[in-house]
Amino acid sequence: MIETQELTKRYGALLAVDRVSFSVNTGEVLGFLGPNGAGKTTTMRMLTGYLPATAGVAKVAGFDVFDQPMEVKRRVGYLPERPPLYDELTVGRYLRFVAELRDVPRKERLVRIGDAMEAVGLRGWERRIISSLSKGYRQRVGLAQAILHQPSVLILDEPTSGLDPAQTVEIRALIRALAGERTIVFSTHILSEVEATCDSAVVISKGRVLAKGSLNEVRSRGQTGERCRVHVAMSAQSAKATDLLREIGAIDGVAEVTSQTDLSEGFVIDIRSTTDVRPDVANRCHTAEIPLMSLERVHPSLEESFLELVGQDLGLQRGSAGPR
Amino acid sequence: MSALLAITRKELTSYFVSPLAYVFLSAFLFLSGVFFLLGLTMTGEASLRVMLSNLAVTLVFVIPLLTMQLFAGEKRTGTLEMLLTAPVPLHALVIGKWLAAVILCTLMLAGTVVFPLVLSIYGNPDWGVLFTSYLGLICVVSGFSAAGLFASTLTEDSVAAGMIGIVLLLPFWLFGSFAALTKSTWLRQTLEHAALLPHLKSFSRGILDTADLAYFAIFTVSFLFLTWRAMESRRWR
Repeated sequence: MIETQELTKRYGALLAVDRVSFSVNTGEVLGFLGPNGAGKTTTMRMLTGYLPATAGVAKVAGFDVFDQPMEVKRRVGYLPERPPLYDELTVGRYLRFVAELRDVPRKERLVRIGDAMEAVGLRGWERRIISSLSKGYRQRVGLAQAILHQPSVLILDEPTSGLDPAQTVEIRALIRALAGERTIVFSTHILSEVEATCDSAVVISKGRVLAKGSLNEVRSRGQTGERCRVHVAMSAQSAKATDLLREIGAIDGVAEVTSQTDLSEGFVIDIRSTTDVRPDVANRCHTAEIPLMSLERVHPSLEESFLELVGQDLGLQRGSAGPR
Repeated sequence: MSALLAITRKELTSYFVSPLAYVFLSAFLFLSGVFFLLGLTMTGEASLRVMLSNLAVTLVFVIPLLTMQLFAGEKRTGTLEMLLTAPVPLHALVIGKWLAAVILCTLMLAGTVVFPLVLSIYGNPDWGVLFTSYLGLICVVSGFSAAGLFASTLTEDSVAAGMIGIVLLLPFWLFGSFAALTKSTWLRQTLEHAALLPHLKSFSRGILDTADLAYFAIFTVSFLFLTWRAMESRRWR
């Protein structure tokens, strides 16, 4: 449904978006992830035809955004980062303007406006003046504006930024509900949001794509080596425990061993290694006669992968600067 | 076409739900009243010659202030992003906004129609002359609205856009005076042709001169074209 090839935007000497290529299938919800200033908004503006690209191709529903902008604009619903609202108008008057602008047939206008307001939970708010609305409700009006003409593609730029937790949950649920047959791209710098709502993700930083694909693929991209977690039922203060930690540290391929001792039953050891060292760890415990409670491989969360990817890209120490 | 009119209607709604339109309407009508009174006492004629020529000058200041937010406001609040990602051709956007300003100003002028009515009670005004005089003012409104709209594309700051608009229009009012100062014949003639007030003279005498109509048509179309170019140029940046 959406396809970009080597999409590039240059502002003078600044390369805002650098050869970004990705594609989104029909009905898919794609999370566009990146720290602030990564080029998310610029990419979305190029997809919607608001900004021209310096180079590269962007296609929506098979139409080239630069050669056939009208065809693309008819099919895309777009919610910019700041909801595009006229403060002086009422919600109803504003949506009527959008319906007219979008050339919704006169007969269907009222029904479509009603449907859009219903979908975003604005029923009965027609007569409210937009300037009197809270941020969450402004966002809803913005969303209603984006879905009014029943677009097959929705592009949402940070739809949950600045909302309180309850509003965030509502908007996320709304995005999920809008998915179905629509293709949705939304940008965010909040990772749990992507895990909660998306099928796939694109991670960008400094204008370049760092990872893309299904959530699992993105998770594994950030992972460097293997990680596992051991839970043993014994006091961390004992001599046996110190021996065990030393022995694990001596296993081939183990890079880092950390232990957490503030547990009531025994303690937990986290191991980072280049290969899967679980059999060796189990052996050591067995020979030392230490009761092994659990031994599991740890999958990094999307958050860790993201921090790892972006951290490497920005040349930061792992975990020291999370763009939250 | 429907998008163009949608924009015009929206702009008119925006004018009339904000205090701006009412403030300007009242101020404009008040000034008209003052000019009307001055005209009567100065000339003792049953004509609106003085009032109408003074109103033309007032429009130099009023119209840029009415048009200043048309594009600057959209840029500042981010609504331009919605307009430019909707399937609306740029010229519909430009003409739609221009039309809204022209309609608003025409309504403002319509309010001054009470003065000819007052004249008709006490005297015998020449209705033909009044008609062409008002037509002349509408020509001025059309040209000035286009210029004000162009000024509005140049910045995000409405007030700055308003100032730019006034500065843009002032020379057209002053060209006539500059012309008197210069010795060079061709420069004087050019300035006289570019100046606004000489082109209003025939209107105020009840004459429709195609040269004057062409002047205002060119004035309007040039500034609308510049507005369109200024918006279009975003594509190349």
